[in-house]
Amino acid sequence: MALIEAEGVHVRFRDRVVLEQIDLSVPEGELHGIMGPNGAGKTTFFNVITGRVKPTRGRIRLDGEDIFGLSTHAIANKGVARSFQIMTLFDDFTARENVMVALPAFRARGFEVRRAVAGDAGLAEEADAVLASVGLGEKVAATARQLPYGDRRALEIAVALAQRPRVLCLDEPTSGLGGDGAKRLVELIGRLRGKLTIVVIEHDMEFLFSLADRISVIHWGQVVARGTPRELQQNEWVKRSNLGRFA
Amino acid sequence: MLDLLPHLVNGLVLGLLFALIALGFMLIVGLMEQINLAHGSLFALGAYMGLQFIGPNPPLPADLTTYWLQLPLGWRYALALVIAPCLVGVVGIAVEVCMRRTYGKDPLYGLLLTFGAAMVIEEGIRLIWGTRDYVLEVPRAVSGAFFFQDLIWSTYRFYAAGTAAAVIGLVWLMIEKTSYGAIIKAGAHDSEMVRALGINLSRLRLSVFVFGTILAAFAGIILAPIWGIRPHMGVDAVVPAFLVIVLGGVGSFWGAVAASILVGLAIGLSAAYASEWSLLSMYLLLVAVVTFRARGLFGKKSVLEA
Amino acid sequence: MTAASSTSPDAARLVTPTMLVLWLALATVPLWIAQAGLYPYLGVEILIWSIYALAFNLVLGTAGLPSFGHGAYFGVGAYAFGLCQFNLSPNLWVSLAAATIAALVAGILVALFISHRRGIYYAFMTIAFAQIFWTIAIKAYDLTGGEDGLLRIERPPADFGIISFDLRGNVALFYFVLAVFVLAVVGLWRLVHSPYGRVLAAIRQSEMRASHLGYPVWLYKASVFAISAALCGLAGALFAMAQHSAFPDVMNLTQSGYVVMMVLVGGGLVNFWGPVIGVAVFLLTRDVIGAFTNSWMLWFGLLFVLVVLFRPEGIAGLVKSSFERHSLRGQGLSALRLIFRSG
Repeated sequence: MALIEAEGVHVRFRDRVVLEQIDLSVPEGELHGIMGPNGAGKTTFFNVITGRVKPTRGRIRLDGEDIFGLSTHAIANKGVARSFQIMTLFDDFTARENVMVALPAFRARGFEVRRAVAGDAGLAEEADAVLASVGLGEKVAATARQLPYGDRRALEIAVALAQRPRVLCLDEPTSGLGGDGAKRLVELIGRLRGKLTIVVIEHDMEFLFSLADRISVIHWGQVVARGTPRELQQNEWVKRSNLGRFA
Repeated sequence: MLDLLPHLVNGLVLGLLFALIALGFMLIVGLMEQINLAHGSLFALGAYMGLQFIGPNPPLPADLTTYWLQLPLGWRYALALVIAPCLVGVVGIAVEVCMRRTYGKDPLYGLLLTFGAAMVIEEGIRLIWGTRDYVLEVPRAVSGAFFFQDLIWSTYRFYAAGTAAAVIGLVWLMIEKTSYGAIIKAGAHDSEMVRALGINLSRLRLSVFVFGTILAAFAGIILAPIWGIRPHMGVDAVVPAFLVIVLGGVGSFWGAVAASILVGLAIGLSAAYASEWSLLSMYLLLVAVVTFRARGLFGKKSVLEA
Repeated sequence: MTAASSTSPDAARLVTPTMLVLWLALATVPLWIAQAGLYPYLGVEILIWSIYALAFNLVLGTAGLPSFGHGAYFGVGAYAFGLCQFNLSPNLWVSLAAATIAALVAGILVALFISHRRGIYYAFMTIAFAQIFWTIAIKAYDLTGGEDGLLRIERPPADFGIISFDLRGNVALFYFVLAVFVLAVVGLWRLVHSPYGRVLAAIRQSEMRASHLGYPVWLYKASVFAISAALCGLAGALFAMAQHSAFPDVMNLTQSGYVVMMVLVGGGLVNFWGPVIGVAVFLLTRDVIGAFTNSWMLWFGLLFVLVVLFRPEGIAGLVKSSFERHSLRGQGLSALRLIFRSG
């Protein structure tokens, strides 16, 4: 049963067609990779799934439910979490505060004014646990702005994880990371496999091919190729383009 | 329907005047991607400067003053129209120099800075001229009224609208037909490119800002007899300027002019029904436009949306 | 960021040591203010404007929303107090409540229109609405007295049933306003450090991120604006009571601009107490420097420009960073940047 399903999604901004036709379905528990050249529309597709952009045509379904036209926060509350290609952390907050604000337990109390947050040990513990799972257990009290780049990337993912999502959408999580940082991320995501449904946009082929169950290639606003990593390696088109350039 | 005619005409006149007011604001937003909140107070300063030149105590050296005061009103008015805005332009230089530190950073700095500059200028106006209302004297030739179609029309408004139209046309010509204008357009489009072409970007910015200031001050003198002169008159200039840009889109010259006419007509017509509250309709219009449609009628994606 | 760091014990407290010291110090003011060459009414003014500025900073400093027309709600409160007193009931509590509610309603109305925006559009919308309210105040002569304002507003006694205080003297009024100030400070401090305040701070830093986390950003922005407006209205009511009058002046953009300047100069962008500091500096400048020269406001405006250019963390930020190793300039700068980002 597909958790995320996109059918005939077409997105047009004024006179420019960004997504021609996207048909994609991701079953529950799958780690689905999305790759393609820059400008192909991959991030726009994420924007469509998370409700930031409303498609001109087409349907989006989450666990069978039609989420077309729902606002971003409504979709997030249905269990969709996302990380961003250009990092958007709460820079003034500490790592712990960044994560805490994503926790469902905290979100439920969003309009509470009577008690102070600082006194709540339970939330702090939960946040710290999530941070530990991404390797930031030592840096819970560091201000996000002051963390090194690799840690900030990990924090992005921690925040998304803290939402306890059903679907995790990662937009170029290894962007800007060196070999070590990327490897760390691969380990982290590898550990999440099977526990959640994950959709990853990536340029790093090694990353995708080693982790993904299936991959969709998006080019010119359409899915031009789809399959398991092995199938794609055989794919003529992928071979000919620079996309599959490694074993 | 004919009862509405004077209001329609009034609206058109007001529209042209709004276009004049918005002109300088637009150029600055276009080239420098800065919302100049000081635009309103520079507009006001222009009016006060004009007042000072035409009045009994012009800011001239003593020997010139006696000669100046002997000139007929028409001459003094015409000369003031030219000299006063230039003096205000000097103030514009000061503002632009302060703004330099904010370039390259987010537009917010420019906004807060020009906001501060606006308050400083307004306070300066209060200190020098006090808070009472003033009236700007205009030459007999353009004041008074005339009859047409059994209605009384204000001569000054037509003169003002005509001047506004002429200046708008001249500015358009400058932008389209001169090399300076071409550089401004290029700079608005891509400042890096302009710099790569060897053009001194900071001198360009300064000159455009000063030009925008001069236009604002000029508009102030033209509008003064219609709106009266008070220290706070600047607000009624900067809000329509912003409204015009939002409606007409940043970067579209004639879009802004069309938007100005629309705004003027809206206010003119609302004056037909509730004249005391007609300026209010400008604010209501801004609320409505920003609520429902922020892109503008003609413009491309604007700096306001970053 | 106006919340104290969450690792600081103050963040969890209802009443902090700083507050106690401040209140104690303020409580002694009427005893020595005459000797300092000033006068008790100045104390009243400082407190009232402090409530106003703290309430305003909820919107600017905590939520990161640029409201340039906040004077409107202060003014609505002032007029509502007077009108209630003349037409409804002379009772102090009723009039204060009426003022707060009137300002709340005004705030909700405006919030409905502006909360889906931020940045420059938001700023201009607040200006437009302020002008709308101001125009109504000036033109609706029958209701508001127009330019002449509402005059002869009385200071009703503070009647607690068993005991009643006459507020007609400035010292008595000072202590009454101090009591309101204490309540306001406690409430605002708790609000800023509550989950709600935390979400507001998140929204200030990244609306996009906050909405992707599942927060209905619009609702938060609208509610904080309404709350702020209500509290500003209360301050306005106190002002009307103190001045015995309500004029359209308080709603004009210049006055709204003053509170923006006070908050920034005082350091409201990085510290909870910034607005209070800014108010004190402003009013002291007015009285002390204003005694020598008429151009004191000009100097304050220039100070504001300098602060924006060079030290956006303001006085509070400067003082705080002299105690800590790193400068708060980065925080001040990023606070400014976030307020005007249109994303």
